[in-house]
Formats: sequence, C-alpha cells, structure tokens
Amino acid sequence: MNVADSRDQALSLLTAALNHADLAVKLSSLKQAKDILSSLDSSSAAVLFPYVADLQRSPHTLVRKFLLEIIEDIGLRAIEHSAVLVPVLVAFLRDVDSDVVKQSIVTGTHFFCCVLEEMTVQFQQHGKVDQWVQELWMWMVGFKEDVFSIALQPGPIGIKLLALKFLETYVLLFTPDNVYHEKFEATRGSRRTFNISWLSGGHPMLDPVALTSDANRTLCVLLDMLQSASSLPGAVTITIVNCLAAIARKRPLHYGTVLSALLDFNPNFELARECHKASIHYSLRTAFLGFLRCTYPAIVESRERLLRALRAMNAGDAADQVIRQVEKMIKNSERERASREIQSVRDDQASSQAYVLGDVSKKRSMPQDNEELTNSFEMASKRIRSGPNSHSTPPTHINDSGQDFSSVNGASHNFPLSDDNLTPVEQMIAMIGALLAEGERGAESLEILISKIHPDLLADIVITNMRHLPKSPPLSKFGTLPTTQQAVNVNSRAQVVPPPAPTNSLHSPVSTPQLPVTSAATTGSSISDTSTVNNFAADSKRDPRRDPRRLDPRRPAVSVGMSSTPVLEDTGTAMSEFDGSISNKPLSVPVVEDPSVRSMPNIQSNDKIIEGPSITGVEQPTAEGDVVGGQEDIAPIVEINSSSSHSVSPYMIDVDSAELKADAEVKHETDEPLFPESDQEFPGSITESSLDETGRDLPVLPIYVELTEEQKRSVRKSAVQQIAESYLHLYWSDCNETRMALLARLVGQIDADDDIIVMLGKQIVVDYRQQKGHEIVLQVLYHLYSLTVTISVDNSSYSAVLYEKFLLEVSKSLLDTLPASDKSFSRLLGEVPFLPDSALKLLDDLCSSDVFDVTGKEIRDAERVTQGLGVVWSLILGRPNNRQACLGIALKCAVHSQDDIRGKAIRLVANKLYQLNYISGEIEQFATNMLLSAVDQRAAGAEFMQAGSIDERVETEVGSGDASTSGSQLPEPRDSGVDSNNTESASNSASVVSFPEAQRLISLFFALCTKKPSLLQLLFDIYGRAPKIVKQAFHRHIPIVIRALGQSYSQLLRIISDPPQGSENLLTLVLQILTQETTPPPDLVATVKHLYETKLKDATILIPMLSSLSKNEVLPIFPRLVDLPLEKFQLALAHILQGSAHTGPALTPAEVLVAIHDIVPEKGGPPLKKITDACSACFEQRTVFTQQVLAKALNQLVDQVPLPLLFMRTVIQAIDAFPTLVDFVMEILSKLVSKQIWRMPKLWVGFLKCVVQTQPHSFPVLLQLPPPQLESTLNKYGTLRSSLASYASQPNIKGSPPRSTLAILGLANDSHMQPQQQQQQQPHMSNLHSSDTSSVRGATPT
Amino acid sequence: MVCSSNQNRSMESHYLLKKQGFDVSSYGTGTHVKLPGPSLREPNVYEFGTPYKHMFDDLRRKDPDLYKRNGILPMLKRNLSVKLAPQRWQDNAADGYFDIVFTFEEKVFDMVLEDLHNRDQVLLKSVLVINLEVKDNHEEAAVGARLALDLCEQIEAVESWEDSIDDIMISFENKHRRKLMYSISFY
Repeated sequence: MNVADSRDQALSLLTAALNHADLAVKLSSLKQAKDILSSLDSSSAAVLFPYVADLQRSPHTLVRKFLLEIIEDIGLRAIEHSAVLVPVLVAFLRDVDSDVVKQSIVTGTHFFCCVLEEMTVQFQQHGKVDQWVQELWMWMVGFKEDVFSIALQPGPIGIKLLALKFLETYVLLFTPDNVYHEKFEATRGSRRTFNISWLSGGHPMLDPVALTSDANRTLCVLLDMLQSASSLPGAVTITIVNCLAAIARKRPLHYGTVLSALLDFNPNFELARECHKASIHYSLRTAFLGFLRCTYPAIVESRERLLRALRAMNAGDAADQVIRQVEKMIKNSERERASREIQSVRDDQASSQAYVLGDVSKKRSMPQDNEELTNSFEMASKRIRSGPNSHSTPPTHINDSGQDFSSVNGASHNFPLSDDNLTPVEQMIAMIGALLAEGERGAESLEILISKIHPDLLADIVITNMRHLPKSPPLSKFGTLPTTQQAVNVNSRAQVVPPPAPTNSLHSPVSTPQLPVTSAATTGSSISDTSTVNNFAADSKRDPRRDPRRLDPRRPAVSVGMSSTPVLEDTGTAMSEFDGSISNKPLSVPVVEDPSVRSMPNIQSNDKIIEGPSITGVEQPTAEGDVVGGQEDIAPIVEINSSSSHSVSPYMIDVDSAELKADAEVKHETDEPLFPESDQEFPGSITESSLDETGRDLPVLPIYVELTEEQKRSVRKSAVQQIAESYLHLYWSDCNETRMALLARLVGQIDADDDIIVMLGKQIVVDYRQQKGHEIVLQVLYHLYSLTVTISVDNSSYSAVLYEKFLLEVSKSLLDTLPASDKSFSRLLGEVPFLPDSALKLLDDLCSSDVFDVTGKEIRDAERVTQGLGVVWSLILGRPNNRQACLGIALKCAVHSQDDIRGKAIRLVANKLYQLNYISGEIEQFATNMLLSAVDQRAAGAEFMQAGSIDERVETEVGSGDASTSGSQLPEPRDSGVDSNNTESASNSASVVSFPEAQRLISLFFALCTKKPSLLQLLFDIYGRAPKIVKQAFHRHIPIVIRALGQSYSQLLRIISDPPQGSENLLTLVLQILTQETTPPPDLVATVKHLYETKLKDATILIPMLSSLSKNEVLPIFPRLVDLPLEKFQLALAHILQGSAHTGPALTPAEVLVAIHDIVPEKGGPPLKKITDACSACFEQRTVFTQQVLAKALNQLVDQVPLPLLFMRTVIQAIDAFPTLVDFVMEILSKLVSKQIWRMPKLWVGFLKCVVQTQPHSFPVLLQLPPPQLESTLNKYGTLRSSLASYASQPNIKGSPPRSTLAILGLANDSHMQPQQQQQQQPHMSNLHSSDTSSVRGATPT
Repeated sequence: MVCSSNQNRSMESHYLLKKQGFDVSSYGTGTHVKLPGPSLREPNVYEFGTPYKHMFDDLRRKDPDLYKRNGILPMLKRNLSVKLAPQRWQDNAADGYFDIVFTFEEKVFDMVLEDLHNRDQVLLKSVLVINLEVKDNHEEAAVGARLALDLCEQIEAVESWEDSIDDIMISFENKHRRKLMYSISFY
C-alpha cells in the first residue's frame, strides 16, 4: 500500500469516525486511522491533521478523548506540523466532560515540554527559533494560562488535581536545577527533561529571567492556595502539599520557602467543608519525611526543624529511621563531593583569574583606602554572620545554600561548587543584580526572592553592599544648623529632585561593561580572556535594546510593587542598615512635613550608588568573587530607581523624620559602630577627593550637620526608640525575619544606659510565644554579641552592657509572664551567644532562693524550681563555658534545706548530671565534702550556703581534686580549709548537726551511691566516727541505696568482705536489707561467712544469712547465736526456721531444741542463762514448737548420753505448755528411771519436781524407782506418800511393785485392807484425775 | 494492594477483590519476603519473585506440622491460586498505572508514596493511595480485605473519586471505626 492509498484510507476512516452513527464503529475507525497515521511519515500524516482536528466537534466523549490520544501520539512525533492540533488541546480544556479535560491537560503538558525543548534546541543550534515553533509556543502559553485558571477556579476536583500537577511541572521546568552543572548539549529527544538552566537568554521568548520569575509567581500561587486550604477539598490540599514537596525536593532553591510554608501550615482550621484531616496531616508528614531523605545541603541544614515538626506529629520514630538511612547516603556523597570540589576549585581559580586580568586592565581607578574599607566591611560582615550561623550549622552548608541561590541567574554552571570563592552573600547579590537588570519582570521576582531570603543573609547583603558607599558623607561642607539645612534644602531641591532620569542615564553606561560578566557567566562554555571580550562586545550591542525596558517600566513597577515591606528591604540592600532604618522610619513617624526635605537622603543615596558602580568590579584583586563583584554593581543601579520612586510616593509622609533622618545619618556616619575604620577617616579631604572622583555631573549635595556629642546621643536615642516602638506595634502581626535582623542591628545602636532596652524586652515578651519573640530576641542578642566580640575593647563595653541588660530583661519578663512549664526561658538561655554572670545569678535565684509574695510571705513554686533545674541541666549539656557555674547551682540546690528542692536537684544531679563524665568528678567531690562535713560535725553546708559563690568552691574542689591523686585523700585539703572557715560558726551553732541538717548534707552522696557503688566504701569508712544523729540519717538512707543497687552489689560485697572498723551496725543493716524478702545469693552468703570466720566474730552479721545455710553450717555457729541478745536470737531463730525456698529450713524446730540442749555452758560458750532464755524463746512460739515437735525433741534428747543439763527443765516446760503430753512425759520419766536418773544430781532435782507436778500420773514412775530413791523422794515430798500409798494399794497395782517399795509405802502387811482401800481409792482416783489435770495446767513453769 | 511481604494482607485482599471481579494486583514493599519461621529470630526469607509454590514446598519439607498449624501453608496455597509469586512494589513500574493503591501498614504507605514521588511522573495519571491499618495475622487480614473491598466498591460507585474522597473516608471511618489515611500521587 503506497502512501497515497494509506492517506485516503485514513481519511475515510476519519470521516467515518466523525459521521457514522454508531459509536463502536467510530471508535474502531479511529483506532485504525491512528494506526495508519502512525505508520505514515510525519509530513504525509500532517496532511490529515486538519481532519483529525475536525473530530473535536464530535459529540461523543469517547471520541474526543481518543482524539486527544491520537494527538499526543502523532502530534508529538510530528511536532512541526501540529499547529492545527494544538488548538484542539486548548479548546478541550473547556470541554464539558472532565475526562476529556483531564486528558487534554495531560497531552498539553507533554506538548508544552516538547515545544519548549524544541525551541531551546533550535535557538542553541541556530541562534534563532522557527516561526512555527514560536506559534506553537504562543498556543502553549495560552494553554498554560487556561490550566492556571482551572487550578484556581472551582470545578471538578479531578481536573483541578491535574492542573495543580501542571503548576508543579511548570515551576520545575522554570526553576534552575543545579544538578546539571555542565552545559546542556542541545539534542532533541534527550532523556533529560527540559530545565531553565539550559537557557542562556537572548531570545525574547526564552528569557530565563522572565520565565524564572513566572515560575516564582506560580509557586506563590501554590503557596497562596495552601494558605486558603480551609476552603479547599482535602484532595486538593493534599495535592498542593505534595506538589510543593516535590518542588522543594527537586529544586532546593525553593526549599526554604516551601518548608516554611508547610511548617506554618496548620491543617486544624475550621473547615468550610468536610475533609479528611488526618490525611492532610499525613501528607505534611510524608513531605517532611521526604525532605529528610534528601541530601541537599539546604535540606540537611533544616533537619532539626524537620525533626521537631515530625516529632510534634508523632512521627519521630519514622523520622529517625529515615535519618539513619540518609546518613549513610550523605557520607558517601560527601566523599564524592570532596573529590569533585577539589577539581572544580581548581577550575574556578583559573576562571576568576582570567576575569581579574580583564577587569583590572580596563579600569584601575580604585583608591587604595577604599579597597581597605571594602575589605574591612567584608570582614565585619563575615564575622557577624559567622556568629549566628556557626551556632548550628557547619559552614560548608552555608556556602552550599548560597550556591543554590546563585543559579537563578543562570550563572551557576560557570562556578559549580565554587564554595571557596563565592560566599552566599555575593551570590545573592549577583542574583539580585541579574534580576534587577531584567526590569519589570525582574523586579517582581526580586520581590519574591527577597521576601524569601534568610534574614541573616539579607542583613549581610546589606552590609556587604555598603562597600559601594562613599567612605565619608559628601555633605560635610554644608551648614551645621538644622534650620539652615532645611532652608538650603528647599532651595536646592529644585535641582536635586529632578535628576532621576539623568541619574539613570548615567548608569546605563556604567553598567553596560558590567553586564558581560553575567552573560559571560551564563553563556561561557570555556572561560578565557577572549570569550570575555567577545561577550563584552555582544553585550554592548544588546544593551540599547535592553536599556529602555529596564528604565521605563521599572519605576512604576517598583513604586507599586514595593509599597511597604520591599521598600525597606530594597533600600536596605542598596545602602546600609542606616538606610534600612530610614525606610522604617516613615512608617513610624506620624506627621508630614516637607517632601522636599524628605527627598534629601534619597538623593544622597543615589550619589553613593552612582559612585558604587564606578568603583566595584574593578576593585576585586583577590581571587575571591571577582565575577560577583561585577555583578554586584548591577544591584545598586536599580536601587536608585527604587529610592527615587519612593521619594515620590510613600516617603513623603513626614516632617520631623526628615530632620531626624538627616541627623541619624550624621550620627551614623560619625560613629558607625559596625565599622570602626570609618571613624577616623571622616575628614573632609577624603570627602572632597571622592566627590571629585564621582561627582562630575552630580546634583547638589545634601547638608551635613555637626552635632555635639550630647545631641547626637539624644537624637540617636529618640530615633531608635521611635523606630523600635512603632516597629513592634506595627509589625507584630506579620513580623518577618528580615525585620528581625534589622531590628537587631538597630538595637545595637542604642546606648547602654538607655532604658529603651528594658521597654523593648518587655514588649517582645508580651506576645512571646505567638509571635516570633524568641527569634527576635536571639537576633538582637547575637547582633549585640557580635558587636561585643568584633569591636575593640573600649567600644565593646557598652554593647556588652546592653547585651546583658537586654538578656536579663527578657529573661525576667519571660519568667514573670509565662508559666513554669513553658520552655521559652530554657530555650533562650540555651541559644543565646553568651551567658553573663547576671543571667546565671538569675537562674540561681530561680532554683534555690526563696520567693516572697507581696505580703512578704514566703512562697515557693515547685514548678519554678523544676524549670530552673531543667534549664541548668540543658545549659550544662549545651554550654560548656557555663558548665561550672550551672553545676554550682545544681549542687547548691542538691544540699538545699528544703526537701522538695533538694529532692529535685538530687534527682537531676544523680540521674542526669552524674552520668556526664566531664563533671562526675566534681559532683562526687562535692557530695563527699558535704558528707564529711556532716560526719565531722562541721556546719560547712550552712556556711557554704552563706558564702554563695559556688563557683569558687567548685573550682577549688577541682583544684584539690587535681592536686591529690588518691580518692580517699581528696577531702583532706578541703577539710582543713573548711575547718578554718568554720571555727566561728561552729562555735555559735550547736555542735551537733540536727537530723534534717544531716539529711540535707548526706542525701546527695547517697543518691550518687546508687549510681556508683564504689562510693559506698566511704560511707562504711566514716560510719564509725559519725555522730548518732548522722548515723540515724545513714540508716534512713541506706535501704534506698541498697535496694536501688539491686543485684549489682559486687562493690558492696567487697566492702562486706572487709568492713571498716566501727561499721558493724551499718553492715548488719545492709545485710538485713539485702536479705529482706529474698534469698541471699550464694556469693553474699559466702562473703559473710568468710567475714565471720576471719575477721568479725559477731554472729549478728550471720543472722540474715541463716536461712540459706545448711544444717551443717548452722550447727557450729548455733551456740554463738544463742549467746546473742535475746531479740537477736529470736531473729536468728526465725531465719533458721524460715529457711530458703529451695532447701527448706536449715533446722527443724525439733533440731533447734536439740541444738540448744547440746550447748554445754561450761566450754566458753554462752552462759546457762542464755540457753534457758533461748529455750523459753522457743516455747513462746507455740505454733512452731508444737506438741509433736516437743515430743520429738524430747525423744531424741532422752537418748543422749549424757543427758543435756536442761533436759528436765525442758520436760517440765513441755508438760506445762502442753498438758496432753503427760503420757508421753511419763514414758520419758520411766526411761530416765531406767537410766538411773538419781545419779545425775542436777537432773534428779528436776525429775522429782516433774514427778511431783505430774502426780498422780507419775505414780507408776515413782513406783519404778528403787526403794532408796523412793524413800528419799517421799521424805522430800511428804505429801506424795499418802496418795502414792493409796495408789499402790490398789489390787491391780499392788502386785507389781517390789515388796521393798511397798514396804516403804507401808503397804507390805496390810494386804487385807487392800480391797477396801481400793474401793475408797476409786472415787478418789477419779477425783484426783480431774484435780490433777487442773493442777498441772495451773502450774507455772519453773 | 500492598503490604510488606505480599503474602498475607495484600494477598488476602487480592484474592477477595479478584473474586469480586476487580482488576487487581498486589505487591510488597519489603526488601525480602519474610515468613514466620520456627522462632521469631529465624524467619524464612525469600527473594521477591520466588514462586509461592516453591515456598509452599520448601516449608512443607521443613516442618509441615508447624506451618500447617500457624496457617502459613494454607496461606501459601491460597496465594498460589491467585498468582505465581510475590512481587515487589518498587519494581512494578512496568505493570502500568493503578487507579487506587491500598496499603495496609503506615510504613508501607510511606514507602509507596516515597516511591511514587521518586518516579518520573510523566503519565500525569492521578493515583489514590489509601492506607488501612491491618495487623499482620490471618484473622485481621481477612477483616482488612473485606474492608478494602467495601471501600473499593464505594469508590467505584462514585463518578469521580477526587470529588468525594473526603466524604467516603469520613463515612467509612465512622462506620467501621477504623482509621484511614489517603494521599494522592501521580504516575
């Protein structure tokens, strides 16, 4: 099939698609047509394009949608012929069907990129752009506008999302992407997406600056939408957040802007409509996490903020995880970067040298001292900057971020990563210059840019730009009185005011030679002298065309666009901080006077600026940033416009201010505290010379007024006061960071003795939290501090005073106004550049001194103490310089007489501070000293509290700690010192430390012991010599320590194994605590046993261990236990009987009894009394020593040879305790009889006693006795005889005893009486029985 | 349907939605496919792309009782009836675009979003990513799958999800007392 046939076929198919009634047929025809079109070459297919485009009339959605697909498919391949197709895209944006609209956006986006790329390629390759591409581009611009309006206007959300996506794409396309440093090699269809950094300018449609500013505007649109998210559906909000996040991630240039917008974004708004808040929240979270994953320096820098934000939304874990992942990546990439940097720096040096040569040869008119001045400015600004910045971020990052910015003007490829040579400030200036050079559009982007610049950077830009100022005011020739000045001004105004035009025209020639630097930078692929020269030529050719555009539209643009904020910033950029203050002033001073006078300073600034360009660009002999120097020049040029236009509109407000301003200016020039060099160089000669140099055709110069010192001061004061006041009032609502930076510098102008600072501090604190109080205060403090540091000694003193005053004021106000739980105070002290002593004193007071309410009653806010201690802690961690002092405060609190303060402080010291190895030594030393002072009865603590200067003390302690090497000796030198101090107080205070006092002094040490068990040694060492009260305090504390130690008491074991003299009580207490409720571990048992065996013979220490000892271990020491005081023995008994869970009791109760009886009193063991007491102690425990136990024990004892001494006593006690044992006892007794008990005199007494007590049960036993013994018994106990006789005469018994026995009873002959007696006996017997039991029961133990 | 290992939660939903006639795929975002092993410290680890059948055989060989008891074998059996092997989300660019992505764990949600953000978004096709927190056990997975189905049907029912996603989310949360999260990305 040839081409013509195919074409015809396609045509018919297309017609069918349009006209056929059936949708299915339409679609299938379209499909076929598409296939054919794809197969044709582009030019033949293009013939059919009009027919394709015709399909847009189709009423069927599907057809229209398919049409879009065809357009995308074939149109992009034949882009040069697609002029007929593109309008379809634009038309379909307004289609009724949202699917068609969506597809149209998608297809259009692709076209957009394609056309853009085509255009760039053409221009780069041929230096011109074909007409058809331009036409297409116009369509695309229209398309863009339409999509933008879709994004902004209400409509179906699906479409809106795509439109937002297009906005994102647009911003990405036209924001320089500094990833690709090397020049884009123009190739069609390269895989890389287009980026603005490919463009080098020169084509009206491809003007990078215009496009960039357009992109910036688009970004602002997105940001604005985010602001108004409350009225948007959730899906839109989320998409906006995602788009912004994508932009920030892909274009670090916008990162700062987007980040602060997202951080400020608060999704908890009251919603106009229902939307899913959690998801919106989450989209923020996702965005932040995504940022964390990025390794751009700017993003890495803001990591802390991100982490804070993420933690606030409970995503700390996820964040930490991401950080960990990324850290590895960063490390790798940094290594790579380092190697690359070396390379690029080398390149860059070469290039900048080239420029230096060119420039210097062209114009070398710089006066020498001017150069010096510049350098000093530079240095000053650098120093100032390094203050706050180095605070948190490594300097390389700062440079890198600057690098990112610099790419805006397209110059970045020339000095990729030239961190060493270009400071961010210089790069920013360069960029501002480039933007300004672009006129109206540039001004708009400039506005955006400046509003996003970090305030410190901006302030530095201001200062860096001061190099363009003349060194001395060109007005010194004029009169001195303000009145005359005004008069002169009025006169001279006629000449002065008109000049804007001449001024500008004056500039253009000056600036032209500068431009090449920029353009050379953008276009220059190879850097050499020749190329520079070529570019010079090219540029001056181009210039005429640019000039009008730059001049004319700019003025209105500036005056309109920069009404309030930008005014201050722009002028500030051009001039100095003084100018910044000028621009502030009109806002503050209410009355209007004479416009003419007002214009004076502006004109003056013009002068300066005019001079600027002629100087700079030449004067950079150092390798550092010559290119930038050139670009900087452009910046001031436009400043004239801004200032001159201001002189017409917003400035005209005021009257006084004119005077004021003139004065302020004078002041400023005279004593410029920032730049001391200029002080001496004021003389008129230089002025004149600079005038000569610059003032060829300049208008009449403003007046310089000489004021006295006094006047200067008062003027200065009132000026600053007014500015500050109005500033705070007016700008609180939307206080931005730039203003803070300027305010900080303003405060630097205040005299030390002024109370403005107090007022200012209070004012700031009023809305501290809602507003950026913290940031403002820090700005101010850092600035003041930088003044203190950078300026020579005599000048710095007042800023130091000012610093201190301001800090104190703010701190106090913070404490007064905010609740204790507020972290602002802590944060403030933690982040200020320097903490003066007075601040520490404040902190000290907060922590420990008493607070009195209005009535003089003492109140103490525990919260405040907590707050104070929290601050102390964070300062110790974060401020090594103040560590000593803060530690002093903490320690002082740790021995505070109030329990709650002390408790808190001790917790802080022991739990947190003591872990820090750099101060643990001091803490330990301090605690030890306190402990010793308590023990040694010295009221050192009280003394010390009075002395107050804790620092000294701590220091001396450190000193002594260093001096002596062994820990135990450490206290010695200190002691003597304290002694001498204390003689007085010791004499009038009671010599004995009170219990609370003792507690106060020792608690810290005990708290430390829980952290470091080795400290316990000291406790044991000194325990012996401690007074009773202190010992009690020890006893109170030691359980806590021991319990806190838990199982890790190896240190304790060492002490236990070798306890110092006098510490036995403490040791026992410790052992008790250790074994309480738990089984003592084997090593402890072993240690204690060893101790007992070797050193300490006191069995008391064994008591707690007894439960874990075995029978064999207990038995040897049993006599010693018995020998202990009764209550200790009882305790021991309890332990023995309790036993351990594993082994059971060491001894059974019966065994205990046996053991007691086994003790032989004579052998140096316990006296008999102790043994009997022990026995009684056993009997008292009737639940333990039960009847059965006794029986068992007695059974064992009775078989022993010899019988234990106390045996009979125990038997009697047993029968007393348990009368039911009587039968058993009788068995025992008869056994004893068989053992011839009468041969053991001591026992025999007891035996008889028992027999008597247990009658009549004992009668059978009695009868067993041999007659002589019976005889003596009966003689002894006469009462027995009759009852025994009557018992024995019973018939059933009478036969059993031997006759001799009966004879003793006198029964041998009266056998006939037996029955009678027996009859009598029977009732008697029963009677006896009952009475007997009662008697036994009633018997008292002997 | 995306979960961590493309075994339990995502596959349960895949299975259910497929049965209901949805055009559905499932993925995991982990670096490996992990299945419980004899102890917590010894999981069975496979590469993505290892067929379910292979895992099934492997585990049956190792300890049939254990893996039957803890439901792994039945799960694998179910899985191998749904598709061949677990697939990794991060490698799915070739599978074209999806209208809705379901994740069942916040971590997975994060990874999917991060991955989508890192892709070249040239198609400009919006995709709804929904996270439904589901515990990684069989019972919860079954519950989660039913919820996912319910949600899909609701979204399917409306003309354009973009317009009503907030309402759907809120009403779903209220109805089932489950927390949802969604985000929007582009292909």
